[in-house]
Amino acid sequence: MVHSPAQFPVKIEFQFMSEAIVSTPPPPIIEVGELSKHFRTFHRREGIWGGLQNLFYREYKTVAAVDRVSFTINRGEMVGYIGPNGAGKSTSIKMLTGILVPTSGKALVNGYIPYKQRRQYVRTIGVVFGQRTQLWWDIAVIESFKLLRRIYDVSQRDFDARMEQFNHVLGISDFLYTPVRKLSLGERMRCDLAAALLHNPPLLFLDEPTIGLDVVAKHHIREFLRTVNREYQTTVLLTTHDLDDIEELCKRILIIDHGKVLFDGPLEVLKSRLLRTKHIKFAVKQQIDSDTLRLFAGDGVSVDQVDEVTFRLRFDRTKVSGADLIRKLLAEHDVRDLLIEDEPIEEIIKRIYAGEASLVAD
Amino acid sequence: MSLRNIGVVYRKELKDSLRDRRTVISMVVVPILLFPALTMGMGYLGAKMMTEAKQEVPEVMVVGGNDSPRLMEALKSNKKINAVPASDDYIAQISNKKVRAAVIIPANFDAAAERGEGKTIVIDYYEGEVKSQLAEKTIEDSLTDYREKLARQLVAARGVPGQLAKPFETDDENVAPPEKVAGSSLGGLIPYFVIILALTGAMYPAMDLTAGEKERGTMETILTSPVARTDLVLGKFFMVLTASMATAILSLSSMGVSFLFAKNTLDRLLSDEAHGVHFSIDPSAVLAVFVMILPLSVLFSAVLLAIALFAKSFREAQTYLSPLTIIVIMPAIIALLPGIELNSRTALIPILSTTLVCKELVGGSHPWGFITLIFFASCLYASIAIGVAVSLFNRESVLFRA
Repeated sequence: MVHSPAQFPVKIEFQFMSEAIVSTPPPPIIEVGELSKHFRTFHRREGIWGGLQNLFYREYKTVAAVDRVSFTINRGEMVGYIGPNGAGKSTSIKMLTGILVPTSGKALVNGYIPYKQRRQYVRTIGVVFGQRTQLWWDIAVIESFKLLRRIYDVSQRDFDARMEQFNHVLGISDFLYTPVRKLSLGERMRCDLAAALLHNPPLLFLDEPTIGLDVVAKHHIREFLRTVNREYQTTVLLTTHDLDDIEELCKRILIIDHGKVLFDGPLEVLKSRLLRTKHIKFAVKQQIDSDTLRLFAGDGVSVDQVDEVTFRLRFDRTKVSGADLIRKLLAEHDVRDLLIEDEPIEEIIKRIYAGEASLVAD
Repeated sequence: MSLRNIGVVYRKELKDSLRDRRTVISMVVVPILLFPALTMGMGYLGAKMMTEAKQEVPEVMVVGGNDSPRLMEALKSNKKINAVPASDDYIAQISNKKVRAAVIIPANFDAAAERGEGKTIVIDYYEGEVKSQLAEKTIEDSLTDYREKLARQLVAARGVPGQLAKPFETDDENVAPPEKVAGSSLGGLIPYFVIILALTGAMYPAMDLTAGEKERGTMETILTSPVARTDLVLGKFFMVLTASMATAILSLSSMGVSFLFAKNTLDRLLSDEAHGVHFSIDPSAVLAVFVMILPLSVLFSAVLLAIALFAKSFREAQTYLSPLTIIVIMPAIIALLPGIELNSRTALIPILSTTLVCKELVGGSHPWGFITLIFFASCLYASIAIGVAVSLFNRESVLFRA
């Protein structure tokens, strides 16, 4: 049984810390080098004749779902792993959790090679697939937990302690005796998180943990993840399509598309490097003719009307000075309120997905 | 391989399955209800129809015979038929079931018979129509009696002892033991039903535990647990086997109970020994059938699991498994055909061999050589199937088929 750092006796931890200070920094918890996964799919011909041909002769082609991906993640980090559908996120997660064997490259997680030492390795990780569940469909939640306790060899004392804690933080006691199929998505996700953390793993993989959840449920899940990360230094790698997850949880993001890493770094760096457009939202005291505002429009600036007295100026900060724009605006109009906004993160990501990869390259 | 983990997976699957109404229906409800319904329903209906047919006094048209009063008298005095006057469309009337049969008597029959000229009486009836066939038989019996009586009279009139008209008698005696009699009528059917049910009982859980799990998305998550894939597939396999065996055991017991019940009820309903089918089956024969079907159950479970694992969804699994039912039914039906017997070649064909040997067992004979051969051959096939299922489970391309 591998212990997470939180379970080490204090003395050993000190030794470890002092050693770490004088010598090299602690090794990364995830080390991925040139990791690739190729799938062989067959090309389907169109039409009835094509369908018949498919029956007898198939043309196969190899698709690189993950293509020479490299990154490292350190203990206690919370990293967002994002990319459009089919980018290779889930395949990466499946390789890192030992379900799939990589075609080439290396992966070392918690000191294990996931697919080779799978059974020892998976005791040190927790996995949640947002669109899947590891709780069994027809049986009560508590039964799944008990089975997982046996599978992961968790002692009854630890189990009871953790169940109490999960009840406290996740509020799952109300539906512990309900079959999983009758739970709402939010309830199920809370149970899935509890199940993934039952054996107290130092590393947590989350594949779209907030998918399909309502605002309140999302908030609960994020709050819980923050707590786990803060209190137990649990490392979290999460894939998501919800960029609020990233903004609220992750300091660092990895963007992947077509199997390749496009960006790896802090969210702030991504923003500063890619943030091209800024918005000035302003309200005027009296209704004005929107035509007069057209004068502002021009190279790098566009205008749209939000309501009768509110307008938004979008400008390309590489071409136009925001200060100049504001000065001009205040001089010419009776502005009651003014707000400068960054381009939403969604827009930035959308541009990266749309092919502006060169923008993120160093 | 860890027995403990296999046990954990097995218990999980068992709990999951028992909470699933569809599994319970195919595993418990169907076998328990099927046999009482089959034996009671069909047995009762069949027996009732036969009784009705026998109790009916068939209307028979007598064509001609006005010049033969003695024959007419013999036919009319028979209380088992109701002779009615002829009409020209008697063939149509038989076809339309207005009358059951017709007797066509040649002209001057009485006179010709006394001269020993041997004229032919024709009985028209409708083959395939039970009541018409019974009427035909009754008429023929009646005419045979009349012929013998007439022959004795004719012989006596010539001063020869009446016995010469019937120089010898015949009698038949059954030497087969009573269970053998039951064996021939039911022996082929019992293993047939149990084998089919062992298959259908395993079918739903096999799909649910593989393709169903893929579809619900619980497959990936169990694969991230420290349970080895071999343990996983074996745990699942034992669950499917449990379902298969439970279905077989329940159907066997249900069959036993309903046959007993049917025997009592039918005997009371129809106190006529003529249609008393022998229902007696030796309990040890039932046990033997069970032992022979066990390896077959293992084979079914492993094959179903392997095939269903290949499917991505429940529906796809159903598409793959439906033809399998026919593949299983075919050898079982072939075994019911007359002339198909246990020999060194048929003993090696799975399913067919089991059906044949079970037929023997129910029939009260014990061909030990074949029993041993078939049991071990079935075990061999079963272990090959388990091996295939385990190796498929360890293949990424099958587990995550794109």
